[in-house]
Amino acid sequence: MADYFIDISLVSAAVSRTASPVPKGKKGATTITKSAVKSGISTPAKGIAVDQRMLDLSALNLTEERSVINEEIPKASFAREKLLEEAKKVIEAEGKERKKEVSLVVIGHVDAGKSTLMGRMLYELGRLDEKTRLANERGSNKAGKSSFSWAWSLDGTVEERERGITMDIALQSMSTPHRQITILDAPGHKDFIPNMISGASQADCALLVVDAATGEFEAGFDRGGQTREHVLLVRSLGVSQVVVAVNKLDQVQWSKSRYDEICDFLRPFLVQSGFHPSKTKFVPVAAMQGVNLVTLNGEAAQELRQWYDGPTLADYLDQLEPPARDIYAPVRIPISNVFKGSSSGVAVSGRLCGGVVQVGERLRILPGDETAAVKMIEVKDESVPWAAAGMNVTLYLTSIDPVHLNIGNVLCPPTNLVPLATTFTARIIVFDIQIPITSGASIELFHHSRDVPATVSNLIATLDRASGNITKKKPRVLTKGTSAEIQITLRTQSLSGPSVARPIPLESFSVNKDMGRILLRRGGETIGAGIVLEIFG
Amino acid sequence: MKLVGKYVDKHGAGHVTLRPEDDEDMWHLYNLIQKGDSVRAPAIRRVQKTSTTGSIDSQRIRLNLTLAVTSVEFSSYSAAAEQSSSADPSGSNNSAALQIAGRVIVENPHVKLGAFHTLDIEANRDVRIEKSDGWDSIALSRVEEAIVPGRGAEVGAIVCGEGTAAFCLLSEHMTLVTHRISVPIPRKAASAGSSQHDKALTKFYSTLYDAFIRHIPFGNVGLKAIVFASPGWVRDSVYEYVMQEAGKRNDKVLQRALREKGMKIHISSPHVHSLVEVLKSPEISSQLKETKFAREGLALDKFHKMLATDELRAWYGPKHVALAADRGAIGTLLISDELFRASDPDTRKKYVALVEGVQQKGGDAVIFSSMHESGQQLNQLSGIAAILTFPLDIEVVEAEEKEEEQRKKREMEVDEKEEG
Repeated sequence: MADYFIDISLVSAAVSRTASPVPKGKKGATTITKSAVKSGISTPAKGIAVDQRMLDLSALNLTEERSVINEEIPKASFAREKLLEEAKKVIEAEGKERKKEVSLVVIGHVDAGKSTLMGRMLYELGRLDEKTRLANERGSNKAGKSSFSWAWSLDGTVEERERGITMDIALQSMSTPHRQITILDAPGHKDFIPNMISGASQADCALLVVDAATGEFEAGFDRGGQTREHVLLVRSLGVSQVVVAVNKLDQVQWSKSRYDEICDFLRPFLVQSGFHPSKTKFVPVAAMQGVNLVTLNGEAAQELRQWYDGPTLADYLDQLEPPARDIYAPVRIPISNVFKGSSSGVAVSGRLCGGVVQVGERLRILPGDETAAVKMIEVKDESVPWAAAGMNVTLYLTSIDPVHLNIGNVLCPPTNLVPLATTFTARIIVFDIQIPITSGASIELFHHSRDVPATVSNLIATLDRASGNITKKKPRVLTKGTSAEIQITLRTQSLSGPSVARPIPLESFSVNKDMGRILLRRGGETIGAGIVLEIFG
Repeated sequence: MKLVGKYVDKHGAGHVTLRPEDDEDMWHLYNLIQKGDSVRAPAIRRVQKTSTTGSIDSQRIRLNLTLAVTSVEFSSYSAAAEQSSSADPSGSNNSAALQIAGRVIVENPHVKLGAFHTLDIEANRDVRIEKSDGWDSIALSRVEEAIVPGRGAEVGAIVCGEGTAAFCLLSEHMTLVTHRISVPIPRKAASAGSSQHDKALTKFYSTLYDAFIRHIPFGNVGLKAIVFASPGWVRDSVYEYVMQEAGKRNDKVLQRALREKGMKIHISSPHVHSLVEVLKSPEISSQLKETKFAREGLALDKFHKMLATDELRAWYGPKHVALAADRGAIGTLLISDELFRASDPDTRKKYVALVEGVQQKGGDAVIFSSMHESGQQLNQLSGIAAILTFPLDIEVVEAEEKEEEQRKKREMEVDEKEEG
């Protein structure tokens, strides 16, 4: 009997030597068990025995409970009205308890130092950690491009770093004492203006960076320079506030006269472009040295302090006013990026052009017949239950095949669809162009992140710029500076075969301002900007 | 196309027999054959015979039919090009189809007079065309153009952007978009990092390479250039990738073709209509000066430039151009072949007279092919435009016309009065 007891204790570690014996299916043990049950000691041991069996079975994969991957769509947590109320409350609280949210597009001529300025700014505001900075510095030194070290924090792709040029929009966020700012760092090179437009259409305010170095400012502002084109573009996309950072002043020995010269030059131009003087700010900076970005202290800023004691760039950014958001409008999200989510599913990002979207909602993807459910909403790297108009969001979608999601598509509620258009009328302002627009001119139509080939199918009338009255019906051509009403038709994708143009989601300006703004380009040049009047289908 | 026989008398009456060989020939025929012409071509027709006992016997018979044309239809399917271009080294892929419908006007034992038939024009089968109201100069010059030997795809172009690419084959009269690819490329994003972007780019390049092999007949001797066109630097990366892949796979033919014919050209947008910019570029236009599409591109560009510098010397629209022609002001006439395809013979005659008039006065007439991008753009611009030798104000001219009309009216009235 003594042997027996030792045996048991070896088999089941859970049972102490002194404890009562455990049923292990051995003959003769049953009687003992029965007595043990009565005494109530064997209960835990019984439990262990059952577990063991399950464990053995599970190794054979015989159990039925295989987890079926069935992504659960979270339930919407609010009723529509409640959600709107909640959103309204939060938006009203902005500026009191919460920081106001603005998005800022950084524009300017190529090599004005936009990315460098933003990289430095992120560092100064503590968004860029020391480790990354050092890595960037080392990397750029190694590549023989040490002057790009700050820009590398925004220029992430291999090609951008190799060429030392921003090619696509970089999205970052930073926070100043009173503002939560989303930064869209735009490329300055003229070949990437489509990307710049995509970024600018997601912004409320603009930061114009100009190069103060001798000859560089002029090159950026002259015909073919991007300073002029970018300013016109962002204004036509609805941006009404601009901060001008006069960069690289260290290269002109902090000359005040140069700074004033540039300001005097730009001021009338900005007014003429439609920026109100009170919403236009100028600030002298040197991005590389970090002078006057956040503080005016430090040794490098000594020369500037002699003649400048105004606000720093960060101070100005802290004063930017977010525009009114229309949260009662139906949801519209033009997609500006599609990528794989970190865990599963597909993520899209873009800016809400209206309405409020919440987790669990179903959204239709236009053009197309598919719908997707919102699994998660991310605003500035934080998961939130809902997002309202004006926010730059990342939505994680589920129950959708990623092939249906493309950059340029628009998400909207299935009950309130965005109309699809192939032919529509628009009121446009013609920019400074050399070759006039004729009827039948082939153009590229830009709407948010989408660009499609189109034709100016009809010149309806030229309008008086101030009053909007018709000055001439059926003009033969539109020359620079005119305002006109035209009809635009999308072109078919092929030269032959069935001539069906793919429609794009578009809304008239009177219905949704953000969805009704268009830009016209031709031959790498922006020829006009306008608003959609009426959609014919 | 081969000219098999031609009999046209001095008044323009007569017939021409042609043997089409490739897609472009179909396009030529489409432009030659008009409503009302009589066309004789081989056809396959199902013939039903009812015997005396009432049983029906149906047979397919190959026979020559002569039709009075009621409609002509042309279609080119770029998708169909997929199999043929790799198999056929000549680069001619029969993806275009021409269908001619009409009533039978010459009776034969199987088909009754007046029966309807639709001819599918096939390559290497003779087609005889007889014009109802004679061969005009435009039609005859078209025949001349069509029978010049040794054509084919002359330029292969890849118009690409980040994630998109269109493969085009340009020949004298046609631009075929043989294939398109589009690979979704995620933007660089702080949260996702740039690895997704890079991965997608690599996938795009390899997709593009595969499509390139299949759709660009790079081994063809007739191919004068392989153009990589894009905004930004995509073309460089693409060219490099294709070159590298060719090296890896030890594809000597491709390597040589790229070295000899490869060209990288900057365009402003990744859409097919930017092909116009390719043709305008000095690299291409110097090499292909003689080709029709380069000439068209240059002429259209000249017109646009004239519109910018001297609006009074660049006119467009049929009415305005006709007025300019009346005044002998046209230096270069730009006219789309679409206008000659007008179903109304009078309209065609009008345009033929216009072209002949301009040529007689020493002007230049460029007939655009609407299968080219430049032709498409001209079509959008009403299909006809002119660069004038001296400035003319449209409003003044229109006022003159009005006056003239009124003067005539008055004269008529005076005449009537005198008669009365």
